[in-house]
Amino acid sequence: MLLGDVSETYTDLVTTVFSSTIAAKAWLASAALVLAGVQVTTAARIYGRLTFLPERGPAIARVHRWSGRLAFLLTLPVFFHCVTILGFQTPDARVAVHSLVGSFFYGVFVAKVLVVRDHSLPGWALPTAGLALASMLGVLWLTSSLWYFTTVRFGF
Amino acid sequence: MGRGWRPLIVGGAVAAGTFALAQAQIFAPSAPAGGAVAGGDVYRGETIYQRECAGCHGAGGDGGVGPALAGAGLDAATVLAIVRSGRGVMPAGLVSEAQEPDIVAYVVSLSAP
Ligand code: HEC
Repeated sequence: MLLGDVSETYTDLVTTVFSSTIAAKAWLASAALVLAGVQVTTAARIYGRLTFLPERGPAIARVHRWSGRLAFLLTLPVFFHCVTILGFQTPDARVAVHSLVGSFFYGVFVAKVLVVRDHSLPGWALPTAGLALASMLGVLWLTSSLWYFTTVRFGF
Repeated sequence: MGRGWRPLIVGGAVAAGTFALAQAQIFAPSAPAGGAVAGGDVYRGETIYQRECAGCHGAGGDGGVGPALAGAGLDAATVLAIVRSGRGVMPAGLVSEAQEPDIVAYVVSLSAP
């Protein structure tokens, strides 16, 4: 079946690098979480916080943009696997929380990107959207990668 | 309606789309042929495998204490029988009955030559 082939091709591709597709998801999500940390840090600097960091300006804006783009790209294989293969599941609290937050993740992502571009919105809108997005990624990571690393295995 | 609502509306639509996609599971693999173990999910099985079997058979199924399973060409009935009853040093009852279809589906796909 054609649709079956897609998940098989994906598995073959991913397992050329990682031992399994879940290991791949756990590490890609971890990398995205680190980049989300860069996102929050650079955003705070742009907002005049964390003054120990280099001066705000084009460099920090560039780091913010590219860490965001990269983080987004890293989540795409995870999205593919979680949403189109595994789907929404509620066998236990961990998976239920993960499914629920995961369903909203790209919605909040799109909202955040739109808020950046909309200068008519109040000043609190962007930091709120950004922090909501980063926190959601944090919850998603805690309910998947951390669980995997601590209860299944820690390795590539 | 002010345009300030746009992020909320578009974001809501994307979230609803994600949710719908997650319900459809369009790329979920079809269950492998295997009679008693039909309905197993390879990807759920993978998690069980990494937890219960990888210690002996290797994370990628390339063997360790236990023989390599990757490429071994095992069929569902064989895997199910071994998982249920164990073999040699391999203990029986590592997985619950509910997990059997998933672990079998995963091992069969892993062992496909
Ligand atoms: C304690 C180590 C250990 C664990 C854990 C373990 N196995 Fe094994 N397994 C073995 C050994 C050793 C053999 C070879 C037994 C023999 O032939 O004497 C084996 C054999 C097998 C075989 C037959 C392989 C062949 O080519 O004939 C399969 C299939 C198998 N195991 C699947 C599993 C699955 C699935 C799990 C997890 C639910 C698992 N094993 C967990 C040690 C283990």
